[in-house]
Amino acid sequence: MKKMTETQLAELETDLNTIRDEVLADLGERDARYIRRMVRLHRSLEAGGRIMMPFGFIPPVFVAATATLGIAKILENMEIGHNVMHGQYDWMNDPSLHSQTYEWDTVCTGDSWRRTHNYEHHTYTNIIGKDRDYGYAVLRLTDDEPWKPWHALQFINYILLSVFFQWGVGLHELETEKLRSREISWREKLPFLKEFARKGGRQAFKDYVFFPLVTFPVAPIVLAGNVGANLIRNLWSSTVIFCGHFTQDAETFTEEECEGESKGHWYLRQLTGSSNFTGGRWLHILSGHLSYQVEHHVFPDLPAHRYPEISGKVQAVCRKHGIHYNTGSFAKQYGTVVKRVLRYSLPEKLMGMARAA
Amino acid sequence: MLAKNTQHKALHWLGRQLFNRNDPEAFFDPLLERINPMWVQEYTPARVEQVLSETRDTKTLVLKPARRWSGFGAGQHVNICIEVDGIRRNRTFSLSSSPLLWQEEGLVTLTIKRLPGGLVTNWIHDHLQTGAVIGLGEAFGDFQIPEPAQPVLFIAGGSGITPVLSQLETMAAQDYRAPVTLLYFVRTRDDVIAREKLLALEARYSALTLNIIATNESKEPRYLRDRDLDAVPGIKARQVYLCGPKGLMDLAQNLLYQRGFAEEDVHSTFFSVGKADLGNETLGGEVQFEGSQLEVGSQGDASLLEIAEAAGLTPRYGCRMGICHQCSCRKTTGTVINRLTGQASGPGEETVQLCISVPRGPVSLDL
Repeated sequence: MKKMTETQLAELETDLNTIRDEVLADLGERDARYIRRMVRLHRSLEAGGRIMMPFGFIPPVFVAATATLGIAKILENMEIGHNVMHGQYDWMNDPSLHSQTYEWDTVCTGDSWRRTHNYEHHTYTNIIGKDRDYGYAVLRLTDDEPWKPWHALQFINYILLSVFFQWGVGLHELETEKLRSREISWREKLPFLKEFARKGGRQAFKDYVFFPLVTFPVAPIVLAGNVGANLIRNLWSSTVIFCGHFTQDAETFTEEECEGESKGHWYLRQLTGSSNFTGGRWLHILSGHLSYQVEHHVFPDLPAHRYPEISGKVQAVCRKHGIHYNTGSFAKQYGTVVKRVLRYSLPEKLMGMARAA
Repeated sequence: MLAKNTQHKALHWLGRQLFNRNDPEAFFDPLLERINPMWVQEYTPARVEQVLSETRDTKTLVLKPARRWSGFGAGQHVNICIEVDGIRRNRTFSLSSSPLLWQEEGLVTLTIKRLPGGLVTNWIHDHLQTGAVIGLGEAFGDFQIPEPAQPVLFIAGGSGITPVLSQLETMAAQDYRAPVTLLYFVRTRDDVIAREKLLALEARYSALTLNIIATNESKEPRYLRDRDLDAVPGIKARQVYLCGPKGLMDLAQNLLYQRGFAEEDVHSTFFSVGKADLGNETLGGEVQFEGSQLEVGSQGDASLLEIAEAAGLTPRYGCRMGICHQCSCRKTTGTVINRLTGQASGPGEETVQLCISVPRGPVSLDL
């Protein structure tokens, strides 16, 4: 990581706080209108998808219904749920958009997400051993993690994780790696497992039992469409999230270098540990503006639709302090993610030999 | 009835599974609101039918709540919710109309004075127009007329007249058989709210004696005095109802207690945030927000809500005066003092209202 003195870090902190304060002072009607528009769009897509689905015996309708429901789920998870649960809209004092009570359309419970994502991941971003989002305890993405033989096949794990992403995220808090090493006991995880079963059951009941049953004669079609919609959402959200921290230049950190760190150092870590991708307005919206991962990690509780507006200022701050602002096209960034998953499936020594040769 | 209830419960359960929220009926509100704001389910929508000017700084809103609203008793209050610049604001007002108007025409009125610097009252005065839809909560409050009839004395000040208007209308309509006196204090004669209505009531309801007193028209302010009470016939037997600014309420209570009135015969309703005298209590302490893993120290009579907000948290809140329970939250340990009553809570786990709870010693919250 780029070395900065405490004075420089303090200056970085002031510069970024200025951007944040400007947005906070300007929050109001416009932001409320934006998020409500997104919620209306989600409700329309969800209703549209569900209504079209039973007519899926006509192939083009099946495609349209599945895509509509998939996009509805993406919009709800990424632009609404994730951002609302960060507290981006708490200031509106609208109980339907409040971070602490929001429950989203995915297996992971809001409470579990608030603990593992909002707290753990956003506090200990990319600190190996502390940020369990780094590789999700399934993938080895840095040489800081010792190589084990099963890492060789980790690309298969990556595909499986993407396909079943909502279940992976839902089980994230189980901390299977700590269960395996007996650091924690199954008994301790019982309350979590109960909550997981309740929410997972609810989601499965809705998409795989209830809606197929009420449309009984065409149940297989509705079931297939709902599976498809969930799959679309799983693949997309996993891809977007992987582009946020696992691109080529996204840095990782050790526990020692972050011990007792200042807010300025935390800011620096967020800037260098995250990566953006470029694209059109709807690509940003469907990624929940995680395409502005850098801005999101620096200001997780500012309304996400503001990130494009402040991106220029954040880049200027990066230039001023000589910090690399990691961005590129979606294809380029995702390419480096795939490369990273493949590269670290082999041990450091082997990679070193390959390079030497 | 039971069948309907079971059916309703089953539907509600299903709704929670499908829409992932405890109020599934509100899931489509964002769309319904666009089609017809009166279809919103999250709160009771109420359409502004008319906006009437009472005085230069007081307006009466005539509202038509959706039919599912449960109605109210004379003298009760209601929370309204209004969005100002993207932020939802809840405020409590007394209903100024009689419940009969609701039963017969489906209308209620709120009489609202512009408060200097008041965000919501100023917005209502400047921006709220006929046809707009605002949110309405269920009515609450126990500032209600005695049944069966007993002699009554109302002492009201300024816009504290609003619940009394509702009660007088109701009493007149049911021909309440007992002497009723109203001492109504206003700054100047121009500040009389609902003058026509009051005069009409006096004319048609013979049990009512109306005495309007202007406090600021002479050189010396003319406040409530003992002689005003002497002039009320059979005052000893009256149930007394107070509603007005704190100064008037305190003065009236002192005069009444000196006359030997029992506490249960003097009824008062909130008007502005009451504050109990917390003078000799040692307040403040370490507040632990367990959910956010934060610990903040506080001193003095800052409420838990203020402490949480100062620490950068954004708990849900409503009226900020201990009425609406929007900010209710589990306290796991520690003692808090109720800012309104001065009473101490137990030390154990219980639900507290953040906006009126002041820590006394260390407190842990599930927030």
